[in-house]
Amino acid sequence: MPSRLPPQPRERIDRSRSVSFRFEGRDYAGYVGDTVSSALLANGVDVLGRSFKYHRPRGVFSAANHDANALMQAGGELNLRADVTELQSGLDLAAVNTVGGLRRDRGRMVEWLAPMLPVGFYYKTFHKPRALFPMWERLIRNMAGLGRLDTADATQRQPKEHAFCDVLVVGAGPSGLAAALAAAEAGARVTLVDEQPTPGGSLESEFGGDEQAGAIRAGLLERMLAHPGIAFRPGAVAAGYYADHWVPLVTAQGLVKLRARAVIVASGAFEQPAVFRGNDLPGVMLASAAQRLVHQYAVKPCERTVVFAANPSAYRAALDLVRAGVAVAAVADLGDPATRGAPVDAVKALGIEVLAHTAVYEARARDGRLAGVELRRLDAADEPLPEGARRIECDGLLMSVGWAPAAALLYQAGTRMVYAEIPGQLVPAELPAGVFAAGRVNGVFELQDRLADGRAAAAEALAHLGIAVPQASRPGRGSEAHSHAYPIFDHPKGRNFVDLDEDLQLKDLKRAAAEGFDNIELLKRYSTVGMGPSQGKHSNMNAVRVLARLNGRSIDDTGTTTARPFYHPVPVKALAGRRLRPERRTPMHAWHAAHGAEFMAAGHWLRPKFYGPAPQDAAVAAEVRAVREGVGLIDVSTLGKIEAFGRDAGELLDRAYTLRLSNIKQDRTRYALMVDEAGVIVDDGIAARLGEEHFYLTTTTTAAEGVYRTLQRLAAEWRLQVDLVARTGQNAAMNIAGPLTAEVLAPLTDVDLSAEAFPFLGARRGHVAGVPALLMRVGFVGELGYEIHVPAAQASHVWTALMEAGREHGIRPFGVEAQRQLRLEKGHIIVGQDTDGTSTPFDADMGWAVKFDKPFFLGKRSLQVLADKARYRLVGFALPPGYAGPLPKECHLVIDGGEIAGRVTSIGASPSLGRVIGLAMIERRLGEVASLDIRVDGGAMMQAPVVPTPFYDPDNLRQKAPSVAKEAAA
Amino acid sequence: MPLRLLKNAIDPRPDARFFTQPERLKKRYDVVIIGGGGHGLACAYYLAKTHGITDVAVLEQGYIGGGNTGRNTTIVRSNYLTPEGVKFYDQSVRLFQDLSDDFDLNIFYSRRGHFTLAHTDSALRTMRWRAEVNKHYGVDSEVVGREDIAAACPELDLDCGGHLPIQGALYHAPGAVVRHDAVAWGYGRGADRRGVEIHQKTRVTGIRVDGGRVTGVETDRGAVEAGAVVSMVAGSTPRITGMVGITTPIVIHPLQACVTEPLKPWLDTIIVSASLHVYVSQSSRGELVMGASLDPAELHSTRSTLDFTEELTDHMLDLFPFLGQTRLMRQWGGMADMTPDFAPIMGTTPVAGFYLDSGWGTWGFKATPVSGMTMAATVASGRDHELIEPFNLSRFERFALVGERGAASVGH
Amino acid sequence: MKLIDCPSIGPRPAAEFVYGGAWRPMPDPDACSDADWAHYVFHRDGAPGVRRELWYHGPSGTWLVAERDTLSDRFLRTTSLADAVAEEGDYA
Repeated sequence: MPSRLPPQPRERIDRSRSVSFRFEGRDYAGYVGDTVSSALLANGVDVLGRSFKYHRPRGVFSAANHDANALMQAGGELNLRADVTELQSGLDLAAVNTVGGLRRDRGRMVEWLAPMLPVGFYYKTFHKPRALFPMWERLIRNMAGLGRLDTADATQRQPKEHAFCDVLVVGAGPSGLAAALAAAEAGARVTLVDEQPTPGGSLESEFGGDEQAGAIRAGLLERMLAHPGIAFRPGAVAAGYYADHWVPLVTAQGLVKLRARAVIVASGAFEQPAVFRGNDLPGVMLASAAQRLVHQYAVKPCERTVVFAANPSAYRAALDLVRAGVAVAAVADLGDPATRGAPVDAVKALGIEVLAHTAVYEARARDGRLAGVELRRLDAADEPLPEGARRIECDGLLMSVGWAPAAALLYQAGTRMVYAEIPGQLVPAELPAGVFAAGRVNGVFELQDRLADGRAAAAEALAHLGIAVPQASRPGRGSEAHSHAYPIFDHPKGRNFVDLDEDLQLKDLKRAAAEGFDNIELLKRYSTVGMGPSQGKHSNMNAVRVLARLNGRSIDDTGTTTARPFYHPVPVKALAGRRLRPERRTPMHAWHAAHGAEFMAAGHWLRPKFYGPAPQDAAVAAEVRAVREGVGLIDVSTLGKIEAFGRDAGELLDRAYTLRLSNIKQDRTRYALMVDEAGVIVDDGIAARLGEEHFYLTTTTTAAEGVYRTLQRLAAEWRLQVDLVARTGQNAAMNIAGPLTAEVLAPLTDVDLSAEAFPFLGARRGHVAGVPALLMRVGFVGELGYEIHVPAAQASHVWTALMEAGREHGIRPFGVEAQRQLRLEKGHIIVGQDTDGTSTPFDADMGWAVKFDKPFFLGKRSLQVLADKARYRLVGFALPPGYAGPLPKECHLVIDGGEIAGRVTSIGASPSLGRVIGLAMIERRLGEVASLDIRVDGGAMMQAPVVPTPFYDPDNLRQKAPSVAKEAAA
Repeated sequence: MPLRLLKNAIDPRPDARFFTQPERLKKRYDVVIIGGGGHGLACAYYLAKTHGITDVAVLEQGYIGGGNTGRNTTIVRSNYLTPEGVKFYDQSVRLFQDLSDDFDLNIFYSRRGHFTLAHTDSALRTMRWRAEVNKHYGVDSEVVGREDIAAACPELDLDCGGHLPIQGALYHAPGAVVRHDAVAWGYGRGADRRGVEIHQKTRVTGIRVDGGRVTGVETDRGAVEAGAVVSMVAGSTPRITGMVGITTPIVIHPLQACVTEPLKPWLDTIIVSASLHVYVSQSSRGELVMGASLDPAELHSTRSTLDFTEELTDHMLDLFPFLGQTRLMRQWGGMADMTPDFAPIMGTTPVAGFYLDSGWGTWGFKATPVSGMTMAATVASGRDHELIEPFNLSRFERFALVGERGAASVGH
Repeated sequence: MKLIDCPSIGPRPAAEFVYGGAWRPMPDPDACSDADWAHYVFHRDGAPGVRRELWYHGPSGTWLVAERDTLSDRFLRTTSLADAVAEEGDYA
């Protein structure tokens, strides 16, 4: 049974500070500095979780979050890694994925059914009869998930930090420390990160009991912590590598987005398990896990252990365990112990039996935990021999049979890895520019060699940065394998797990391969090996070894699956960061809000939709009436605004827009329609000539940036002498409209508003309410009206002045809805509503706006092709006054002969006309129809008579000759 | 308890191989299909099953289903905007519904209901347009209000944290998720059992054309003659069309996706938000499978970017503010072959005997069965199947584009 | 995030840029056939390789021409559009 040891030299726990917590409904105490796993073990709790599929009891395996045995839930915090989660007071933990708790997990009955559930069983089951599949799927979904989401969880987003450095060193073990120091001492700004809360890497665990290593560690740490050129970030996971050395560091406080100029990956290696029957029992663990527990947390993992060895570190682990008071019953070495170096002699000197060419063939359980092992000698082909099998009672089994490089970042950077017999793992063969590897991830194992490898990597990184330093040679990878080539043993009764996350046994992989999934990627997809929460850290390499052997191919020929981000899963709160939603407000926003405006989004802008408190329909009708009968004011500051100066300004506009604009007369405006290269309408607005070489343009709200970019591009491509200035944010704009407009505006402006001095479509510069202003007399809403452009800073003053001056004339602010209604009455289109992503000017009945007699304009050649191919046209329709039938909505379909023949693009009840009017885009094949058959909600059909547009004031007298309107209003 | 499970216990031997391994390429095939993804395997399956054409080789440069078939977010739906699109995808959904039976392999066809959220008036208008066109062709779609969304997915924050609140949605009841790999395996196994040869790790390096007619292909394992060659390679389309000297509008953009760790089931529906550029469903394993819009620039790579996961999670929290402590486990990318009108390019080409199945952008997986079926019919007859006539490459020359672009602001 | 070298202000994160698609010579609209024009408008050389592309750097308002490898995503060279046009001679 595991227990707490007396104080250890390097323990992280603070024995003066006790922490109480709950696990599975029982109270426990640990220390500050404990992980959840170490605290539970110290309390003698050795079953920490249940497995994914069979609900087998599971304990600490890697103690490093390289497996998903101990996933827990604490309130809304789910899938907590007990191995690396720091103990906190008040934690109330439970194992995930149990039915009725960890101890009495009713899910364990699944294991009785195991023979029925071989790999891929669900692909071959449950689909017949079809009607029952939803029931089975529900069952499967309930069995499959891990943590349970708390949909009331209110965890806050975490802010992000940006950081920069010359050299990023990932991993603060011996090679990373040596690399960081060498780089910093040459003057580079270094960031050193490690996922552990303290530096040292394997010096803290596998070398934790080695005196010589202790001295090295002390020296490195002292120099590193004192060096001003090294920013050390403990507890930071380098979660992925992205283009141009962009590495996100995940910390408890949030995401640090780090830009480096060079990256040294010194991330070490994952210890790999052996595969044999019972290798998942609580009590079986990686030797490095046991060393971590002893050295860092002063936890004795067991009382009596067997060590399963295939490299020198196994023997160091045996010595560490003996020192911690654990009885080491035997070391079973898969190879020849004589090749393992000095620690073997030390182990033998303690009287510990060392068995050569011997495997742990089976781990046996009592009460769901390890009770003993069966050892078998290996024959010449490394097959276990049944003769002379030995059984040893033990509550611990430490495996040290091999390593796999923690190469995720290297893979993501584009490194090509190849298998090397020495040291028996994949090693980098070709690294991308600016990325370097050092230490065990580079296949270098001896401690002194790792230091040298780190220094050499630093020298290469410095050279990459152009910092001249003498190049150090790489130390090489020694002469011994540190990983066994095939530490995998078949057993007729199975339960020899290759992947603990996914509960995959050796036979599952064999079966998958036999069924045709004998390519590493297909094997992964069919069996799900490596797809669990630890993403294959302990299983991918063994799966590759299994498949290579089954196929009779080499490791390199077999290949590996792609190492995708993330290295460890990353919380959404860290990735998402703070919530920033750009929102643009016009200068008059506060006024609108204070006057009951309901806002709507227009791109990033907010615009008044209508002004309450009346409900929308009533408010919009009143606003429309005000414009038709009196005067109204609308904020149109969101329109795009561009000024064009220069000799070729007119030429540019001719080439960019469909109409000819270069011949606009001084102080006049003209409609401006833009299409793309394929002839599709992208924008419309107004162009005003303010000087011989000076134009002012407006665009729709959402196209403002795009049109500005297009004009800039065309000007550069054609080498035109034009300067373009984006005024959208600098200028605000408002449109005052209605028969009483002049009465309101005239007293406030020095511009002569008389029809003779300022005709329809004219543009004038002057002042409004003392503010310099550009006035354009436009007719979008079909009344006398002026669009007034003023500097944004003074716009609110102008607006307020107009509203004040208009009070006696009953002025009303009006919003986007009223404007939509007003323009609909005039039959004017809204780009993007009455047109779509395929509409040409011909589809919108705007052939008049296309001037083919210009030498060139954007989209001209396409429009020439399309001129007689237009499929659609826009028509107006009007329902009879008093119509009481079902009303069409926008995008209801026009039907002809049972087929779709168009759609309603705009519709509204016109207060001015007392009837419902609308626009429809219909297929030209319909010809001149008298009415449209429209399918409305519920599938009913209705008829809408087609009428000419404009619906209102068809001769446009009101906007051109305002006296007409005034007489009508009077 | 299904009997099949008992059989597993009684007879623990593996089932027969899904795909046999032909030793070498033959000298000639009636039909060579380039690309062993879902589309290529489906085409081979229907050629053999429906048209009795079994002298077929599927050449796959990597492994079966390893391209976009295994990289998409597994959503199946037919709520498109254009009549051409609706009819085509409706047929696909119908075929999907029967695939488990056809294959005797469970593809986990799981009908979940599909909500495309509208955050603005104009989005709601487009939803109505799609719903009306769908209903016209008998496809079950309708515009629903906030209450209906709340009833189906009470976890959703309809106010999106105060920014761009949800106004309504296009609800498409048949929207489903499917185990994508199983679709490829089922078609592959079915084709293999009918005599089709599937050659993995076989890369096409050239296509032979003689007098305007295709005569065979060259591969890294030698040349083969062919009566017809069908290119079904999604992201590799420009490389293949270059071999026969034709150009297309196709450009390749990466499309990325990601999954969280497995969670106990809580999300039954498929949720899509065009304004927030996200879509999400929960797989039968419990992972949230999430995607966003295309990467903006052309690129022939399946690399991942950090900005993708940052933006996606940021927006996902607007919809589901309680996901902060959930962990994102893995991200990946595919190569989407985009067209200017967001519709595929299928059927006959200017080169006799050379057929294209391409332009799958972000909508390829859901078209797998119908593409296989219509392309098989096209190859068998030499004439474009009526469902794919509007998708012929020649439409661009004729300025006769498909109007799907009106609706697709987020691809999936 | 990738860095792109803006000819105006140096390397900036890719998020500040807008992709403008391939930069290609336009055929003479008055001389080419409808089909040739359609090919120009819609068809692209979509094969992987080094391409000349238009990019726009928003904060500095710079259009640039980038030579980029669409297989590796490496930017080999960036030039302001004005300079690129000057190198090419008259463009349109």
